[in-house]
Amino acid sequence: MTDEPSYEELERELESIVTRLEQGQVSLDEAIALWERGEQLYKLCVGKLDAAQGKVEELAARVESARPAS
Amino acid sequence: MKVEALEYGDRKVYTVAAFNKGVASWLTRLPTVWIEGEVTELRRHERWASVFFTLKDPEIGACLPASMPRGRFDALRLDLRDGERVHVFGRPELYEARGDFQLRALSIERFGLGAHLAAIERLKAKLASEGLFAAERKRPLPRLPQRIGLVTGNDAAAKRDVLATIAARFPPARVLVAETYVQGPRAAAAIVDALGRICAEPEVDVVVLARGGGSFEDLLPFSEEKLVRAVASYPVPIVSAVGHEQDTPLCDLAADVRASTPTAAGRLVVPDLNDLLERLGRSRSSLQISVRRSLERERQRLAHGRTRLDRAPALAVERKRASLEHAHGRLRALSPRATLARGYAIVRGGDGVVTSPPASGSRVDVEVAEGTFGATVD
Repeated sequence: MTDEPSYEELERELESIVTRLEQGQVSLDEAIALWERGEQLYKLCVGKLDAAQGKVEELAARVESARPAS
Repeated sequence: MKVEALEYGDRKVYTVAAFNKGVASWLTRLPTVWIEGEVTELRRHERWASVFFTLKDPEIGACLPASMPRGRFDALRLDLRDGERVHVFGRPELYEARGDFQLRALSIERFGLGAHLAAIERLKAKLASEGLFAAERKRPLPRLPQRIGLVTGNDAAAKRDVLATIAARFPPARVLVAETYVQGPRAAAAIVDALGRICAEPEVDVVVLARGGGSFEDLLPFSEEKLVRAVASYPVPIVSAVGHEQDTPLCDLAADVRASTPTAAGRLVVPDLNDLLERLGRSRSSLQISVRRSLERERQRLAHGRTRLDRAPALAVERKRASLEHAHGRLRALSPRATLARGYAIVRGGDGVVTSPPASGSRVDVEVAEGTFGATVD
């Protein structure tokens, strides 16, 4: 099993990138690199959320079908 | 009066007659007084000049022979019976012929209502000061008696009332009945005896002392000291049901519980079986109802919890998505490309971003909003 970073780790990294960019004390090259990393992180996060949502919905459908008629 | 003595040397000797006469004469110096006691052994005969009886101390049992001229006795029209309490006005007297000491009665008064009441009040105060009637002495009755003792007269009503009430309320009850005298001079002792015997019977755990209503005098034995003391002393609780509502003989005060009537006593010693069963039934059904209710409550809580559980992951994802979008919004605002969109360009040379004019003829990459193109510096 690869040691894939968790959603929270990715989001924390994104947040720290945004904070650094907002403070504006980085060089342009660095800013661009950070920004590109930020965009990458955002896509990773969105992907994880989509996957989680898909799992939740699948599970909910299964539970719903298993629930006895009240 | 001078009594002559014979002299034998220095010894004075009296004849019997003289001695009796002397004592009799001396006795006449004693005052005439009132004496209280119970009349027993009353003997009256048409041929006798006097009526004879014995006055008895009801507590100690001490006896005093007494007589009264028949004419005077008859004139009082007392119709005295054995055991009645009286006040006798008289003086001591010696019947010389026989040397019998007796009380010469001049008048007799039946111990009246007032006197009885006063005597009872005195006794009541005395016993109360000893704590005999104190509330902390009272014992509770068993809720379900194993065996009920009933001490009563063969006077049908009281016995029937107690038994009928017990049988109607609690048919499985077991009752042990002791019949005894409940009025007259021997009643108190007989009741004490009967109570003692029935309290000693196995399993008897409550005793009812019952007597129907009667005249004040009829109920007097129930205020006699020995009975009252006895009632307070038995090992099992005693229910006193003597007379009617308005009567309060002292044994009522000494008993653990006082019942106003024999019927009330029956109600006190046993529960109503039907009531009991009904209460049990009600308890049982309310038990079932409350169990069902709490089950239902738990089910609802569980359902609520499950709904929240079902929603929670989706909610969590939504929340994270919102905060992610927020971060992304901020990221986008800071994007260098947003600057490029306004017409700026990034020029990159071999050493990275170009910030000072490069040498003529060198190649650079120019990045604008829509893409990148190469250029040669003039």
